Amino acid sequence: MIKFERFTLPNGLRVIFHQEPSSPMAVVNVLYDVGARDESPERTGFAHLFEHLMFGGSKHIPDFDAPLQAAGGQSNAFTSNDITNYYNILPAQNIDTALWLESDRMLSLAFTDKSLEVQRQVVIEEFKQRYLNQPYGDAWLYLRPLVYKKHPYQWATIGKNIKQIQEASMAEVKGFFQQHYHPANAILCIVGNFDLATIQQKVTHYFGDIPAQEKKVRALVAEPKQHQFRTKTIRRKVPATAFYYAFQMGKRTDKEFYQADLLSDYLGNEKTSPLYIDIKKKKKLCAEITAYITASFDEGLFVISGKLQPGKTIEQLEEALWPILEKTAHKAISKSALNELKLKLRTSRAFQDQGLLNRAMNLAYFELLGSADLINKEAQHYNQISTSALQAFASQTFRKSNCSRLIIQSQQDAQ
Amino acid sequence: MLNRSQAPALHPIDHIAFVQPEVIQLSNGAQLFWRNGISNETSKIELHFKAGSTVDQPIIASLCAGLLISGTSQKSARQIQKAFDALGAYYDVSITQNEAIVSIYALKEQLLAAYTVFHQSLFAANFPNKELQDLIAERRQKFLVQQEKVSFLAQRQFQRSFFGGSVYAKQIQLEDYDQVSLTDIKAFHQNHYLKGLLEVLVVGDLDQSEVQQLEILLQAFEKAPIGKAQFLWQNEIGAIHVEQEGALQSALRIGRPLFNKTHPDFCDFSILNTILGDYFGSRLMSNIREDKGYTYGIGSYLVEHQDYGYFVIGTEVGVQTRIGTFEEIQKEFDRLKTELVATEELELVKNYMLGQLLKSADGPYAMLDLFSNVHHYGLTLAFYDHLIERIRQITPQRIQELAKQYLNWEEMLIISAG
Repeated sequence: MIKFERFTLPNGLRVIFHQEPSSPMAVVNVLYDVGARDESPERTGFAHLFEHLMFGGSKHIPDFDAPLQAAGGQSNAFTSNDITNYYNILPAQNIDTALWLESDRMLSLAFTDKSLEVQRQVVIEEFKQRYLNQPYGDAWLYLRPLVYKKHPYQWATIGKNIKQIQEASMAEVKGFFQQHYHPANAILCIVGNFDLATIQQKVTHYFGDIPAQEKKVRALVAEPKQHQFRTKTIRRKVPATAFYYAFQMGKRTDKEFYQADLLSDYLGNEKTSPLYIDIKKKKKLCAEITAYITASFDEGLFVISGKLQPGKTIEQLEEALWPILEKTAHKAISKSALNELKLKLRTSRAFQDQGLLNRAMNLAYFELLGSADLINKEAQHYNQISTSALQAFASQTFRKSNCSRLIIQSQQDAQ
Repeated sequence: MLNRSQAPALHPIDHIAFVQPEVIQLSNGAQLFWRNGISNETSKIELHFKAGSTVDQPIIASLCAGLLISGTSQKSARQIQKAFDALGAYYDVSITQNEAIVSIYALKEQLLAAYTVFHQSLFAANFPNKELQDLIAERRQKFLVQQEKVSFLAQRQFQRSFFGGSVYAKQIQLEDYDQVSLTDIKAFHQNHYLKGLLEVLVVGDLDQSEVQQLEILLQAFEKAPIGKAQFLWQNEIGAIHVEQEGALQSALRIGRPLFNKTHPDFCDFSILNTILGDYFGSRLMSNIREDKGYTYGIGSYLVEHQDYGYFVIGTEVGVQTRIGTFEEIQKEFDRLKTELVATEELELVKNYMLGQLLKSADGPYAMLDLFSNVHHYGLTLAFYDHLIERIRQITPQRIQELAKQYLNWEEMLIISAG
C-alpha cells in the first residue's frame, strides 16, 4: 500500500505527495499531459524534441542542470506516445532547488536559436543511434503505420523521419509550449521525508503564481476496428529474418489491459511458455520469440515478435504459431499456471515499488490515468482475473483479421 | 514575493551513513554478507563465482553460465523453471572478465525455497546436449546481430588492441560456436562453480533459521582458490579505424591503462573524471553534445577490475563529425592541463558527487552493492569516508596535476568503428 496526499493549486496544478521517511533523497517528478499522439502529422517528433529544449534554460534561469547538480541532484526526462515526464532526484534538504527549477520552466521558457539548432542535431543523432544505425532499429517505424491508419500512434515518439525534425521552427516550438506546458496540464509528484504542510507551503510558493490556463480537451480520432489481415515485408541485409505480429487491443484503462498483460507473460515467458516450448525448443523455428503489450493510453497492441533460425520460413512459423494462439482462445489455461503468473507479477511489483523514483513516476502516471489511487488497486485487478477471462480475451484478440504482420526478411533467407 | 532569479540556498551534505552488513563465515572459507531490517517483502541472494570469461576459453565460460540450470537427470530445464515460477521467483546470471554472478529475486518467504531449487539444479546439472545446441543457435544469431552494431565493433577492437597478448584480449569468435565441447563445459562447471565460490550477498528480512539453512547449503561449495590473475599485457597506442560500410554513425573508444580503487590517485582522478565526462554537465557533454550537437551522448569512465583498471571515453557520433570529435576531446584534455578549474565548477562537481554518493548509499540493496564494490578490492567502507574527504579537500591545482599526468592524447588508444 502506497499512501499519498493530494491537493490542487488554484491555477489547476495537481500535486501528489508521498512520504518516505527512510530515505535521505527526494524525488520531484513533473508529468505533462502531452505526448507524440498530440503532434500534427506534419510535425512528428515534436514532443520529444521539445523535451530536449526544456533543459535549455527558462526565463529566470539560464541553465537547468547546473543548479540541480550543484544541489547534489540529477535530472532526466522521457517522452512516450502519451506523456512527457521530467524527474529530479536530489538530497531531500535541497528540494527547493528542484521546485524552483521546475516551476520556472513551467512558467516560461527562454531557449535561444542556438539551443534549438543544437538540440535538433542531438535528436537527429539520437534518431540515427537508436533507430537507423541498428539492425531492426526501425521496425516500429514501419509497424506503427501498418496498424494505425487514423490514430496518431501511427508514428513513433522520435518522429516519422529526420526531415520533419530539421524543419521545426522557433515559432512552432513556442506554440507547442504555450499549448501544452501550463499548470492544469501537469501533475507534480513529490516523494521524500517531509510533512504535508511543508510541501503545501513550498509548492504554493514556487508554483502558485504561474498563470492558469484552460486545459484543452483532447479530441483524437479513435482507431477503427481492423477487419482484414495486413502484412508488409521489407527485404534487406540483416543477419536473420525478424517478425512482428501486432493485434489490436483495448486501452490502458480497460479491464482487458490486465488480462492482456498476464496473457503476454503466459505466452512469452522464457523457458515455460507455449511459444518458447513449441516454436523455439520443439520445432526449432526461432532463436528467440516473445510476447508483450504496448500499454498505451488509447487502444494498444498485443505483440508477438522474434527472429527465425536460418533456413526456416514464415510459413513454417505460422503453421506452429496460429494453432497455439487458437488453443488459448479455445481452452482455458490451468488455474495453477494462472496463480504462478500472479505470484511472479507480485514479486516484480514489490521490487519496482522499492525505488523512490518508480513510486513518484507511477503515482503521477496513475493520477493522469484517472486517479493516483489506481496504484494500490492494480494488484486487485490482476488477482481478480480468471482463467476464463484470459480465454475470452484471447478469443476476441487472436483473430487473423485483427492482426498486422511485419517481416524484415534477411536477404540470405530470401534466396 | 518570490524572486525567481535568486536560487534557493543550498544545504550541504554533512553526513552519509555507510552501513556494514552482517558477516557470516562459512565453513568452506567463503563469506556471506547479509543485510536485514528491510521494510518490505522483497529479498535477493547473489552468488559470486570465479567463473568469468578470462578463467578459461570465453565461449566455455559464456555457455556454461547460460546452461547452469538446464537440467539434471531428474528434472528438465522446463521443470526447473516451473519450480521457480511456482515460487514467483526470478533467476539471472551474468559474467564479467573475472566473475560469474547468479542472482535470485523473490518475496522473502520464498527466497530459501527458490535458492534450494537453484542449488539442487546446479549441483546435479548434467548439461543435456540438446540444451547446448539450442543455446548455441540463439547465441550465434545474437552475435551476428551484434556484429552489425558499430558500438560492438569498436568495443571489440578496443579490447583486442588494449589487452594485446593477454587473456583479457580473448574474445568469442563466430567459429567458436562450431567447436564447443560439452566435456569442457562440464569441467568448467566442476572447477569454477562447484569449486569456485567467492562470496554470497543476501538482502532480506529472513529468519535466523532460514539463514542457517542457507549456510548449510552453501557449505557444499568449495571456495575459489586464491590466485593472482594474469596481468601481463601490452596496450597499443594510436588510432585504429574499423570500417563498416553504410554506417551513419561512428562509435569511438579512447582509453589508456589506469588503476582501480586500491591506488592512491583513484579518488582524486575520479573527481577529474567527473569534471571531464561523468555527468550531464561535464566538459565533454557540454562541448560535444550541448554546444556542437555531434552526439546523443558522450561519457568517460573508470573501468575497474580485480587487478587493474583503465580509463575510457565512449560515444557514437555522426560519421562526418568523427574527426571533429577527436579534436574537441583533445581540446578538453588541453584545457584541463593548461587552465585551473574554476572554483564554481569545482564546487558544483563536489556537491554533485556527494549527492550521488548519498543516493548510492540509499536503501539496503544499494548499500550492499556499495559494500561489495569495496570489499571486492580488499577495502572496507572506510574507503567512502576517504572519498568524501578527498572530494571536500581537492584543489584546482591537484586536478591540473592529474590531468597533466594522465590525460595525454599521445598515450591513448583511439578506436573508431563505422
